[in-house]
Amino acid sequence: MHERLSFYVKRDSVIHSLNPLTKVYLTLSLILITFTSPWYWTPHLLVLIAIIPLGLIGKVGVEFFKAAIRLILPAAGFLFLMQAFFQPLGEDVIFKFYFLDVTQESMMFAFRNAMRVFVMVSAFTFLLLTTHPSELMSDLSRRGLPGQFAYVIISTLQILPQMQAKAQTIIAAQRSRGLDTESSFLKRMGLLTPLIGPLVFSSLAEVEERAIAIEARGFTSKRPKTSLHQIPDTKFDSTLRGVLILLVILSIALKLWLS
Amino acid sequence: MFEKIKNNFNTQTWVLIPIAITINIAVGQIVLLLKLPVFLDSIGTVLVAVLCGPWAGALTGALSNMICGMAIDAGAFPWWPVAAMIGYMAGRMAQWGFFKSWWKVVVTGFVVALTAAIVSTPIAVYLFGGITASGSSFITAYLLQTGQGIWSAVVSTSFLTEPVDKITTAMLAFAIIQGLPKRTIGGFPKAEQAAVEGGANKNQLYIAVGVVVVLVLFAALMLRNILGG
Amino acid sequence: MAFVNLQNVTYKYPLTKTPVLQNINLQIQEGEFVSVVGPNGAGKSTLCYTLAGFVPHFFKGEISGSIEVAGMESSKSTLDEWVMNVGLAFQNPFNQISGAKYTVFEEIAFGLENTGVPRDEIKVRVDEAMRLTDITDLADRSPYSLSGGQQQRVALTSILVMQPKLLVLDEPTSQMDPIGTREVFSVIRKLAEGGMTVVMVEHKMEWIANFADRVIALKDGQILLEGKPNEVLTSDVLAENGFGLSRYTSTAREAKKQGLWKKENLPVTLDEAVKGFKK
Repeated sequence: MHERLSFYVKRDSVIHSLNPLTKVYLTLSLILITFTSPWYWTPHLLVLIAIIPLGLIGKVGVEFFKAAIRLILPAAGFLFLMQAFFQPLGEDVIFKFYFLDVTQESMMFAFRNAMRVFVMVSAFTFLLLTTHPSELMSDLSRRGLPGQFAYVIISTLQILPQMQAKAQTIIAAQRSRGLDTESSFLKRMGLLTPLIGPLVFSSLAEVEERAIAIEARGFTSKRPKTSLHQIPDTKFDSTLRGVLILLVILSIALKLWLS
Repeated sequence: MFEKIKNNFNTQTWVLIPIAITINIAVGQIVLLLKLPVFLDSIGTVLVAVLCGPWAGALTGALSNMICGMAIDAGAFPWWPVAAMIGYMAGRMAQWGFFKSWWKVVVTGFVVALTAAIVSTPIAVYLFGGITASGSSFITAYLLQTGQGIWSAVVSTSFLTEPVDKITTAMLAFAIIQGLPKRTIGGFPKAEQAAVEGGANKNQLYIAVGVVVVLVLFAALMLRNILGG
Repeated sequence: MAFVNLQNVTYKYPLTKTPVLQNINLQIQEGEFVSVVGPNGAGKSTLCYTLAGFVPHFFKGEISGSIEVAGMESSKSTLDEWVMNVGLAFQNPFNQISGAKYTVFEEIAFGLENTGVPRDEIKVRVDEAMRLTDITDLADRSPYSLSGGQQQRVALTSILVMQPKLLVLDEPTSQMDPIGTREVFSVIRKLAEGGMTVVMVEHKMEWIANFADRVIALKDGQILLEGKPNEVLTSDVLAENGFGLSRYTSTAREAKKQGLWKKENLPVTLDEAVKGFKK
């Protein structure tokens, strides 16, 4: 029913059939717990007992793995290196890298932070893999999110590929006129205008007509809106959401109690 | 209170925001391609802030980061309050008339940069311990090695890297607004903030450059004093 | 009471000096197919916006005169009410895609969702509208993956599904390739034959001559001439005022000057030209 998008993958799984808001709760809970729980090994544990199992239950294991290799691990890895080398903590120097001291404390600190980022990004990726944006927005709109917000988010997601394609075209056109991304700094600064200008002006010219087009279709109508699709929200969903809220509160409470 | 927020938003605002967000992302990527030492990922945010108002600008910034975090680079996500602040400050400065000539625009860029630096510091410190996955962290690391406290190291880094980026962003946004037909601008809620006063001629540009130099020197001096010399 | 009644309408966009519409007087009956022609800057688009309620409610500016359309009165009705009764489609199909929906079916339903139509009714009306414009096979496609002609038909369907009493079309085929043009015209023809009241701005004279009940020639914000297509489109007034004529008309005009065209009236369409030259 939905065309292939950058992230959403259509599968027949328990996770996919969950209410979108429940999945949002799941993602946010994972993130909040990983950042507030006082226990050092929280993020690592969450990856084992939450992220990977969810990926498997949601039958998106393969896509998730690919995304992990391509996006998440490099980001977390880079952060790990930066923090290990540059965060001056503790005295126990494990080894030296030129003039940089790497201490055990730094390594541990970096490891935890990198894992935290890993959990955060994984949770979001997971959400995106199992939830179609229009379903999420539909559900949120039903719960009171103004239609204009839903419009902005979905519209952005759909125009983004167009804009990137436009940018590619302009870059290609400039390349054929001798644009050199290796040239001097000043030359590259000068390239900003011919690259950005056409992109921006052509996009801005669309605004008036599109505004008229959506007004002609009742965008600013004061009548209560109806929805074409019905998104199910089961007892399981509401129970799960309740449990997640409790877990987050527990995590925050523990942190406050222990500090 | 809500009225003030609502008057930032008409249908054209809602149509502009997605376009502004995609401009943010696309220009950010072009800049990466050109390997320039700036981000320039807030041009769209500033455009919305000037044409529609501070609240619309803040929303654009926040959504921009979130969507960039979802679709392109997850590392962008935690910085959404900074992006929102950039939009808000740019909008306020425009309301106070600071988007009508080149040198005023430079001042706006500078103020926005300082605000961005201030708002991003707690996020950098609390979430990342000061070292983020950005190239500017090398500067922070160096400062830490020389014995500075974490807060002043992070703030100093931002004070150095933000002004160039935000001033350039503001100037580009100004250039874009000048190039738009009156009819296009007229449909937005705060179109009058974008009206250029006098012609923006070469002299004003020189004044603007002069102001940049002054501001940068001022910032450097301020920094020296804060950090205790 | 005329279905559309414009009396002494003068309009100026904000921050401009010259009124784009000057003293327009126009009456249109229900079920009529009226075509508007004119050179660039004549005010055709503004006239469309006026009929659709966007002038003055969207554009602001200064307006005088009375505008009555489908029982609504410009000074008393809001844009919300107006769009329920008047549908508007324009040149650029891409700009008419809302961006809010991922499939054509949902895109067409957008207007009905916004105006609070019950779910079951939405499905019925969208199916019906898609059958009318022959795009049922596009239902699950993304609006962004379509050709220009397909997008324009989706835009038309999105408007038709709201069951407007008046349809205003501003050069709907100007940006189409020949196939797209054919597709769009065939939909418009069906609508016209079905009794829809249509106002269409169009340059393709041969087409207008076959379908319009009346033609309005607009120049510099004023109505220069109006009447039956055959009279208006072959009139000297048009030729003298910088209007483009159909190639058959201009050819026959030249021929007439040289005594080669014997008929009294000039042709607009190929058929008329052929008949005329045969004699």
